[in-house]
Amino acid sequence: MQTGPKFVRHFEQELEQLKGKLLEMSALVEASVQRSVAAVTQKDRSAAEQVFRDEARINQLEMEIDEFAVNLLATQQVVAADLRLVVAALKINTDLERMGDLAVSIAERAVSLLAEPVIKPMVDIGHMSALVESMVRKSLDAFVAHDADMARSVLASDDAVDSLRTASYHELVSFMEKDPQHIPQALDLIGITRSLERIADHSTNIAEDVLFLVKGVDVRHHAEARQ
Amino acid sequence: MRHFAVELEELNQALLEMGALVESSIHCSVQALVDRDERMARRVMEDETRINRMELDIDARVTRLLALNQPVAGDLRLLIMALKINTDLERMGDLAANMAERAITLSKVPAVKPLIDTPRMASLVEDMLHRSLDAFVKRDAALAERVLPADDEVDSLRDRIYSELLELMQENPSVVPSAIHLMFVARNLERIADHTTNIAEDVIFLVRGVDVRHHASENKV
Repeated sequence: MQTGPKFVRHFEQELEQLKGKLLEMSALVEASVQRSVAAVTQKDRSAAEQVFRDEARINQLEMEIDEFAVNLLATQQVVAADLRLVVAALKINTDLERMGDLAVSIAERAVSLLAEPVIKPMVDIGHMSALVESMVRKSLDAFVAHDADMARSVLASDDAVDSLRTASYHELVSFMEKDPQHIPQALDLIGITRSLERIADHSTNIAEDVLFLVKGVDVRHHAEARQ
Repeated sequence: MRHFAVELEELNQALLEMGALVESSIHCSVQALVDRDERMARRVMEDETRINRMELDIDARVTRLLALNQPVAGDLRLLIMALKINTDLERMGDLAANMAERAITLSKVPAVKPLIDTPRMASLVEDMLHRSLDAFVKRDAALAERVLPADDEVDSLRDRIYSELLELMQENPSVVPSAIHLMFVARNLERIADHTTNIAEDVIFLVRGVDVRHHASENKV
């Protein structure tokens, strides 16, 4: 078995490369989420088009990261803590790619809303997206800094996102009941809040992976262990 | 240390057991919706907890196998794939539980319309899941490939359900809340189909070493 200094250096370099790729991907996904929301709230078509353009790169990076992680595991003797890092990287990779898909779906709805007059001020979507964007940012920062406290603060926000979404949902439903003419547009808005909620869920997954990575404890599906 | 091959086989069995429970959850959640059967829906929600526990157990098995055995190329790919399939199955369980919750809500209000396309969509999706797991067990790329075209059929059923519900809502706004629930059920079934497609693509990758993930989706557009 290789254990010399040269081997160690090489392995650490590869691990750094893996983190670098994941950071590139997370920066892209974070920007896509922001742009897709701007496309909705500011009726910004060029922001939506940028989201569509970046999707290909995000998909490409997902495959590169998977392949890189598998090769790393195949060619190196990986010890427990590093193994957790590589497994966390694989999971975060999947979450990021799904978040990218959701940003695309928000941007698509933004484009279909461009042609329509605004039926209601997008206050809730503004609130909700600000919260979701901060969850995305914090979960990724927590990963980079191995910061368990920051990861925990992401978990705490998930309920706030859910209740914002529920409030906006009820409002939109009563809107549709009163004014059937605007049903298609209200459905787009419901779809957008649903996508934002799911982006928040993926950030929560990432935060849970960070806690697993830092503490070695699996907090998924155990709400009481999160406190 | 126990023999690697034995542990790998146990992992296979654990994934299949989870797959079977997820398949039955999909079936029962839609059946509960059609039959307005609240008890059946509650059972699906209870099974979700079991599915979540299975997910944690499978992840722990995979991590242990990776740590203790330093597996090489083929087995390594298999283990990584088990991680991915595990994630997909757990999400499908979540989606089934979400459909069951909607079934409970809808069982308490008058029916909007007879449900014909929704159970049809569900049985298509269950079949996709069954075949993709079968392809995984048999390491059969050709079988996995045959799962992929069904995804288009699922999408067109979803589109049909959407436009039908949209029309109903516009004619009669009082059905809006129920119709939205039914739209989300169709959306969940579509997403479950996407997850089965992920599994099928993983099998093709495992057997052939070719990543078809984002090329397959490009071909569809």
